[in-house]
Amino acid sequence: MQKLQTAAEGISRVGAVVGGAMLLVASILICIDITLRYTLSITLGGADELSGYALAISSAWGFSSALLSRSHIRIDTVYVRLKSIRARALLDLISLGTMLFFFGMVTFYAWGVVRQSWVADSHSLSAIEAPLVIPQGLWFAGLVFFVALCLLLLVRGLLSFFAGDYAGLFASIGSKSALDEAEEEIAATQHGLEQEKNK
Amino acid sequence: MTAGVSLLVLLFLLGSSIAVAAGMGLTGVLLNNIYSSMPMSRIVGELTWSTTSNFILTAIPFYILFGEILLRSGTAERMYAALVQWLSWLPGGLMHSNVGACALFGSVSGSSVATAATIGVVAMGEIDKHKYNEPLFLGTLAAGGTLGILIPPSINMIIYGVMTDTSVPKLYLAGFLPGFILTVLFSLVVIVACWWKPEWGGTRIPTNWELRMKLLPDLLPPLVLLVIVIGAIFFGVATATEAAAVGIVGALALAAWDRRLSWRMLRDVCENTVRTTAMVVAILVGAFFLNVIINTIGLTQQLSKLIAHYQLSPVQVLLAVVVLYLILGTFMEELSMMISTIPITTPLMVQAGYDSVWYGILLVLLIQTAMISPPFGINLFVIHGIRGRGTLSDVEKGSAPFVIALLAMIVMICVWPDIVMIAVRWFG
Repeated sequence: MQKLQTAAEGISRVGAVVGGAMLLVASILICIDITLRYTLSITLGGADELSGYALAISSAWGFSSALLSRSHIRIDTVYVRLKSIRARALLDLISLGTMLFFFGMVTFYAWGVVRQSWVADSHSLSAIEAPLVIPQGLWFAGLVFFVALCLLLLVRGLLSFFAGDYAGLFASIGSKSALDEAEEEIAATQHGLEQEKNK
Repeated sequence: MTAGVSLLVLLFLLGSSIAVAAGMGLTGVLLNNIYSSMPMSRIVGELTWSTTSNFILTAIPFYILFGEILLRSGTAERMYAALVQWLSWLPGGLMHSNVGACALFGSVSGSSVATAATIGVVAMGEIDKHKYNEPLFLGTLAAGGTLGILIPPSINMIIYGVMTDTSVPKLYLAGFLPGFILTVLFSLVVIVACWWKPEWGGTRIPTNWELRMKLLPDLLPPLVLLVIVIGAIFFGVATATEAAAVGIVGALALAAWDRRLSWRMLRDVCENTVRTTAMVVAILVGAFFLNVIINTIGLTQQLSKLIAHYQLSPVQVLLAVVVLYLILGTFMEELSMMISTIPITTPLMVQAGYDSVWYGILLVLLIQTAMISPPFGINLFVIHGIRGRGTLSDVEKGSAPFVIALLAMIVMICVWPDIVMIAVRWFG
């Protein structure tokens, strides 16, 4: 099971980097589009549409990356005041369970969207007439991966819970406090500064 | 009644530390089961696709990307060093550079936490060197960090605009003057404090025109880039999203010019951008679903009936909303507080006769206040974390005068709504 998670971490990392690269390319396309519009009065068209797809795909794949780094926001005012470690662990499991439920529902109905585009061979109503099934398929794949990851983490969390391994449970699905988050932000900035000094 | 139930269900779910995105989605599912007979859940697929592939929302990852590139290419730190030379003659010296650098960097980065952290790390060493009053110095950093969500381009305003069907360019126009006034107000707080207690202002930093000119190349390019991005939106040359794209390419060029561009840096930038974007988008998916449910169960009409029934004056509604946010702000994370309450409070305010652009600005000011008021203020934690000594209450004490400045700003835009609306009328 550890192997499965390591593999999932690798995939979600690649997904995030590729998603970011798509956004970067989209922004460059938009710049080219604007430049052409104001210099030669030509519009390429489609740059805005493609960047919309880039957002949908990169965020669907990014959900997993955010889940693994425990970046999905939770309101932990009550959580941090709970004395019982068991109760906290239970809340972590419930939180992940509801995430699985809601995004499971989203993914279930998202399949309908993709299937509809496939069956009807839908193309976007624009100059580039993109076959919608391609961006929607990539988006849907990201959602499926995210739901599978939720399931994997939930199973692992439950196993840890019943084995009494609370430390392991908190490390993988615990709520990240605001202080933890602040510390990470600071560490990232200081790391950047050190790199600069080394140059 | 429905409004009360909705708010209670939402607060209960979020309060039990369920992830905000899932909590809002679940609230939608529950409300739909209680109040509507239509199987609304089916729309969630189509809705999620159309929301996440919305071109206006693409501005969110673009501004995050823009800020990440500036951050990781060291532009922010050099900008701070240059501002020190240019602003240190004011009573309070470096503290004005803190406010100024936060205002400049925060406006592009779109994240107040990243802003406070970046400028905070650079500035912290100067407290002992120049013997500043520590709490006040920390207060300028925490408060300065919040300016970014008010001064355009702001991610919070994009989210508000898309969720409430309000024009994002108008919101940007509206945010500019309050943002400028608030920056000046923050500086005034420092000046007044240092005039009252001169020893708080620290020792004077030696500077001369030669040094100032020498550091100008660190200050001007990011400043010019910022002016281009904001100017393009103001004069209708480009949409907010297009302007962000221009900003990214400009920032990449700056980084390349300074020889800071590398594959490693780009990879980190991409990964971080997607992670932050996904976190925001997940909440938006839940929020848009909840928004549709709230509309189909007729919450908006009920709110207007409620106002009519109790003969509530607009001022009373306004006061109720302000108090609600001041309370929520004490325990809720700011971004989720904003997104989760917009579907309920915005129709309420609009029904009471307020302009949705004006309300957007008020909302941002209320969120800024929440960020630096105890016991839960994310910027207080960040600054305390960087400092690594003393107690959190020092930061809280130092931020208190700036909370007062923010409350004064809120009163000002309520008394003179024109501060917000005048630019919208002129350019809009």
